[in-house]
Amino acid sequence: MSFETLLFVLASGILLGGLYALMATGLAVVWTTLGVFNFAHGSFVALGAYIAWQVSQLAPTGPGFVIGTCVAVTTMFGFGMMAHFILIKPFERNPSMVLLAVIATLAAATLIENSLLLIWGPRDKLIAPPITEHVSILSVHINAFELMALGVSALTLLALALFLRRARLGRSMRAVAQNREAAELMGLNVPLLFALAFGLSAAAAALAGSFIGAIRFINPSFGVDPLMKALVVVILGGVARFSSPIYAAFLVGITEAFASFFLGLYWTPAVLFSMMIAVLLIKPEGLFGYQSKTL
Amino acid sequence: MTSTLLELQDLSGGYPPVSVFRDVSLVFSPDETLGIFGPNGHGKTTLLKTVAGLIDPWRGGVYFDGHRLNAEGDMPARPSEYVNYDFFRRRRTQARTAAQAGLIYVMQNNLLFPELTVEEVLAIAPQAAFGRPGIVQMKDTVDHLFPRLKERWQSKIRYLSGGERQMASIAAGLLAMPRLLILDEPTLGLSPKLRVELANAIHTIRDSGVPLIVVDQNAQFLSNLVSRLVLFEHGSITREFKGSNVPDHDELITMMFGETRG
Repeated sequence: MSFETLLFVLASGILLGGLYALMATGLAVVWTTLGVFNFAHGSFVALGAYIAWQVSQLAPTGPGFVIGTCVAVTTMFGFGMMAHFILIKPFERNPSMVLLAVIATLAAATLIENSLLLIWGPRDKLIAPPITEHVSILSVHINAFELMALGVSALTLLALALFLRRARLGRSMRAVAQNREAAELMGLNVPLLFALAFGLSAAAAALAGSFIGAIRFINPSFGVDPLMKALVVVILGGVARFSSPIYAAFLVGITEAFASFFLGLYWTPAVLFSMMIAVLLIKPEGLFGYQSKTL
Repeated sequence: MTSTLLELQDLSGGYPPVSVFRDVSLVFSPDETLGIFGPNGHGKTTLLKTVAGLIDPWRGGVYFDGHRLNAEGDMPARPSEYVNYDFFRRRRTQARTAAQAGLIYVMQNNLLFPELTVEEVLAIAPQAAFGRPGIVQMKDTVDHLFPRLKERWQSKIRYLSGGERQMASIAAGLLAMPRLLILDEPTLGLSPKLRVELANAIHTIRDSGVPLIVVDQNAQFLSNLVSRLVLFEHGSITREFKGSNVPDHDELITMMFGETRG
C-alpha cells in the first residue's frame, strides 16, 4: 500500500467530516437552544435532498444543482420553523417535555420518510453535480465538487458561528438557551427564537442533504445513516462550544474513511459506535466538552 | 397624566393546584418608592413573577399605566389532568408585553446567562426598551453606577461573584429603560461591603427618578430607601406604612415577631 493511497483515504475522510460537521452542528443548535434532541433531523436531510433533486430536474445540467440547493435551503428553513410549532411548542410547558419531543420527532421522521416514499418512489436518485472535474493536490486525485462541498460547509459554519457570537439576534438565541425566564423578562420573543433555531438547523440539514445527494445516491430512508453519524458526532464531541461537534465530525469522518478502507464497510459502524461508547464511559461530556448545555 | 402607574386588583395566583397569594390589591404611583417586606416562603416572589408576566394569574387584574397586562376573566380550571391544555389555551399573560411596556423585573438570585459575557448581556438588554428614548445616557449612567462591570467586561457571567452578577442584572434592567423597576431581594447573600455598595447604587437609581419596587429582607436598607412599606404575610398584604411612619429595623422585628425578652 502506497503513501498516495493513505493520503487519498485521509482526503476522503476530511471531505466526509465536512458534511458530518454541517449536520451535527444543525443538531447541536437545536439541542443547545431547545434542550431537545431532534430525531427528525435525518429526515430533514432527506427531504432537503429530494427538494433539491426535484428543482434541479428543471435544468439537470448546468445551474440545476445551485438553484435546487438554494430552493431546498430556504424551503427547509420555513419547514423547520413550522416543525417547531407543530412538534415542540405544544409540549413546551409540560414537565416531561424532553420525552414528548423525542416521540414527536421520531413520529415526524417516520411520517416524512413515508411521504418521500409515496411522492418520489423507492428508486435511487442522483442530483447532477455542477462540476465533474478532478483536481490533484499532493498527487491525490480529488473530485472538485467534493472539495467545493467542503468549502461551502466550512463557510456556512463560519457564518453561523459569527451570527451566534456577534449578531444581536444570534446572541439572543444563545441567551434563550441559557435562561428562559430571564430571556422572557428581557422582552425577547422566545417562541420565535426557538423556531429560528429549528429553522436554521433544518436549513443546514438541507444543505448537507443536497451535497450528499450529489455525491452518493438518495433514497427515502437515506437520512437514517447521516442522523446516526451526527448523533455519534454530537455525543463524541459534546456541545459545550460551537466548535466541539466540528472537531468531532472530522475525527469521525477520518476514522470512518480508514475503517472502511482497512476493515470494510460492514465493520465501520461498529468501530464508530465502540468509539462513542468508550467516550461515554470515560468522558461523558464529550471529548471537547465540559459540563454545560449551551453554545 | 395618570397618577397610577401600577395597579393590582384582587390578584390571586400560584402554581396550580397550590394557591400562593390571594386577593392582593395595590396602587402604585410613579413618584413613590415601594418596599415589600415579609418572611421567606410567603409568596412575595410568586406575586412579583405574576405581575411581571412569568406566571399566569388565577383571578384579578394587573394594570400598568392604564393598560391591562393579563387576559380578562378568571383562569379556567383544568377539567382533566390528562389533556394537554397548553395546546388549546393561550398564556394569560406575557412577560414580553410587560417588559416592552416598561415594567422591568429583576429576578431574585438571577443567574442571568451563564455562558454570555457581560458585554454580550448588556448588548441584548436594550431590546425591551422598544422605542423608549435615552438609551445613550442610560449607558453612561450604568457605567458610573457599576464601574466593576467595566473591569469584568469580557468575563462570562458564570465567573462573576454573586454581587457582580447582581450588578449585571440591575444594569441589564436599567438598559431596558424601565418605567417601573422591580428589584427582588437585590442584597440577598452578599458580603456586607458589597451590600453597602449595591445599596448606594439603588439609592442613586431612586434619586434619578426611576420608580422602584424593592423586596428585601434587610429592614434597615428598606426603611432608608422607601417612601411606603407594605408587609406581606401568608400571601396577602397585611399592613402598610407611609412616609415618616415607615418603621425602622427594630420596630419591624417587634411588630412581626413580638417583644424581645429582657
